Amino acid sequence: MLRRVRYELAGRVAFPLLNALSSWQRQLKRRGRKPRANPFGPPLDCVRKLRELMTAHYYVGRYAQGAVPVAWVTSGFPIEPLRALGFHIVYPENHSALCSAQHAAIDLLQAAEQEGFSGDLCSYARIDLGSALTGITPVGRLPRPDLLACCTNICRTVSYWYKNLASHFDVPVVMVDTPFVYGEAEPHHLSYIEEQLGELIEVAERIAGRRIDPERLERTMRAAWEGLVLWGECLQAGKAVPAPWTAIDGFFHMAPIVTLRGSEQCNSYYRMLRDELSDRVTRGIGGIKEERHRLLWDNLPIWHKLRKLSTLFAERGFNFVVATYTNAWAEAADLIDPAKPLESSAKAYTYVILNRDLEHRLASLKQLAQEYRADGAVLHSNRSCKPYSIGQVDLRSRLAQDLELRVLLLEADHSDPRLYTDEQIDNRIQAFLESFS
Amino acid sequence: MRREAIERHRAHRGGKVLAVLPIHYPKPLLTAMNVLAVELWGPPGPPRGVQAGRIQPYICPVVRNALAFLSHGPMELVDGVLFTNTCDAIQGLATLLPDLGDWHKPVMRCWYPVGERRISAARFLETELQALADRLAQLTGSPLDLDRLAWALDLHRQIDALRADILDRRAHLDLSDRELYALLREGEYRWPEDHLERLRSLHQRLAELPVKKGLPVMITGLVPEPMGLFTALEEAGAFVAADDYAGIGRRIVRQPPPASTEPWTDLVEWIYHYPPCSTQGGDLARRLAHLEERYQQGGCVGLIIHATKFCEPEAFDFSAIRKSFSARQRPVLYLESELEVELSGQQVTRLEAFGEMIAQKQGAQPC
Ligand code: SF4
Ligand code: SF4
Repeated sequence: MLRRVRYELAGRVAFPLLNALSSWQRQLKRRGRKPRANPFGPPLDCVRKLRELMTAHYYVGRYAQGAVPVAWVTSGFPIEPLRALGFHIVYPENHSALCSAQHAAIDLLQAAEQEGFSGDLCSYARIDLGSALTGITPVGRLPRPDLLACCTNICRTVSYWYKNLASHFDVPVVMVDTPFVYGEAEPHHLSYIEEQLGELIEVAERIAGRRIDPERLERTMRAAWEGLVLWGECLQAGKAVPAPWTAIDGFFHMAPIVTLRGSEQCNSYYRMLRDELSDRVTRGIGGIKEERHRLLWDNLPIWHKLRKLSTLFAERGFNFVVATYTNAWAEAADLIDPAKPLESSAKAYTYVILNRDLEHRLASLKQLAQEYRADGAVLHSNRSCKPYSIGQVDLRSRLAQDLELRVLLLEADHSDPRLYTDEQIDNRIQAFLESFS
Repeated sequence: MRREAIERHRAHRGGKVLAVLPIHYPKPLLTAMNVLAVELWGPPGPPRGVQAGRIQPYICPVVRNALAFLSHGPMELVDGVLFTNTCDAIQGLATLLPDLGDWHKPVMRCWYPVGERRISAARFLETELQALADRLAQLTGSPLDLDRLAWALDLHRQIDALRADILDRRAHLDLSDRELYALLREGEYRWPEDHLERLRSLHQRLAELPVKKGLPVMITGLVPEPMGLFTALEEAGAFVAADDYAGIGRRIVRQPPPASTEPWTDLVEWIYHYPPCSTQGGDLARRLAHLEERYQQGGCVGLIIHATKFCEPEAFDFSAIRKSFSARQRPVLYLESELEVELSGQQVTRLEAFGEMIAQKQGAQPC
């Protein structure tokens, strides 16, 4: 009971106070400082709100243990039943991305490797396992899970990763296994997923100590659906010329749709972002100062080099206007029917880009390139994310051949900075950019 | 040898041939439908053909080799390909080959449920197997005969019983590991009845008393490749007394479920009776308990973790295995090799040092 009160107070009282204090401190620091020259457009006002939202999420999480049931989930997990049951939800992938973006990954990667996890494994998994083993995290503290929730719709890697977490924390892991979709999903695959969602609810109810309220589940589904639609609207603002933001901004602004999906906080944030973006479109404000070329990004971001890479491109007038990764979170909206939560979730959560064949991926890349008027593409050949990277060699030639796009296959890693060779990558990028002149 | 087995199957049984991606697939179902499975673990040697370059070098060699192999000449030998959902790499290949390549033969897929057994998973598995049987019927032109399925299950029970006994009484067999594994691996492409015959002859060679000299060790890994490892192991004074290779020991049902009158149920149960495998995403504790049992049964004095470079499912289990064995003061050697390249001098030296270390621990000299 006491813990529950502390958890509630952390979100409603302590965090707003701390946040007000730190934003006042930031303002003081900024006062009198000249803004640094850069090739980007004026920063989005929403950035402050985004920071606040995500900091609050991790801050409140510190008090979740023992106050509310805690689930650690994979990024594509159908979390709506968990949210409806009052779980506090932690996304290890988001946490790993954050560690990498804040340059706090290397110690954690090394900790996992010392424990015997190969350096070839997904760097999100290694960072997370390193953090679980050492307790080190830039967010203060992650609450211990009561339940691990794993969905194979992004990769099979998560099933291997989560069994290690289950063994480490000695807690149950619930699996939603979504057979890979070739063409259309087979009916018995969909019914299998739906049945597993029923099993998930049984396990989650046991852990939460209460039954799920169907109305609350429907409300959560509706909120999740609305969030996806709003996020889609934000992304579509990128179709304007100049695009009012960059896909690199989008990598950061996608955090709420991943971690707070199904909540009103998430939706009100995206309403604000959408309005700000459409205002920028009306006023002709671009994400970069001089947009001469528009690019598409495929695969995960290189979190630890985002600033450097985006500057390198933006300085020469190249803007990433669309990314398959951020777009993946808008695609599912059409498939969700809040009145049929399990049936429609089964479909929505299996028809995700990483769980679909390469024909679909190619069609999707082409459609995005055309709709967003991209004249080039960068395919991040992501060393430790095999599922996203298989097929990129062929995708590169097909995009170049069918759409006459200039395409760069850039080898790096989403979260392991040690796999980034500055000089070599810079040279490849320079050569790519020069090919446009 | 594969070519010969394929031609023999076509000529003698008039059956079809499928190239099959490892690891787990319903072999009794294929046998029942007169379909020869020829497994593609990647032909030994470096990836052949330019097609291998269509997959980045940081993705495992099994799929790069399979792509190269399936995209040129030898593919004419088979009537289609069967993909499993073993790992992300194979799932990816299962779309790369037919969707962006020049593959025009039938493509089949069989998805085993991921994770521990659940009601939904067992039900799904049965339907998935039935769907595969329908696709195989299209290939062969004849529907599945349930009596044939019962017969095939029995045949594979016999094969597994012999394989298990040969491995369990390894010390009673005067054969090098290299020879033994070559024989066991014939099951990857021989028609099961022929393989059973070969296993029977081998089984008859088991002596009453142990004849094998050397230090008994357990080995776990993906596939016994490169085979030079066994020569080096022998030279280090050790032999494999307990096997947990995904391609060998983890495909032996040691305690088969009793046969019922319902072959579909029997096939599902059969699949659920395989030893725990890294690729299933199941409970690690269950896998560790199984390894412990095999280690003790083999009277082993050390464990070799034979890692195949870039094999994700395997690599995720090694930390727990190493920790669990080291906690019991058992010597563990972690040896990472590349599927298509023979062991380096340094790796051979590590094996020798491991042999010496366990010999000292046992108070014996390696033979
Ligand atoms: S392997 Fe790729 S898809 Fe899977 S968790 Fe890692 S980064 Fe995500
Ligand atoms: S990743 Fe491992 S299990 Fe998968 S195909 Fe490659 S070697 Fe086999």
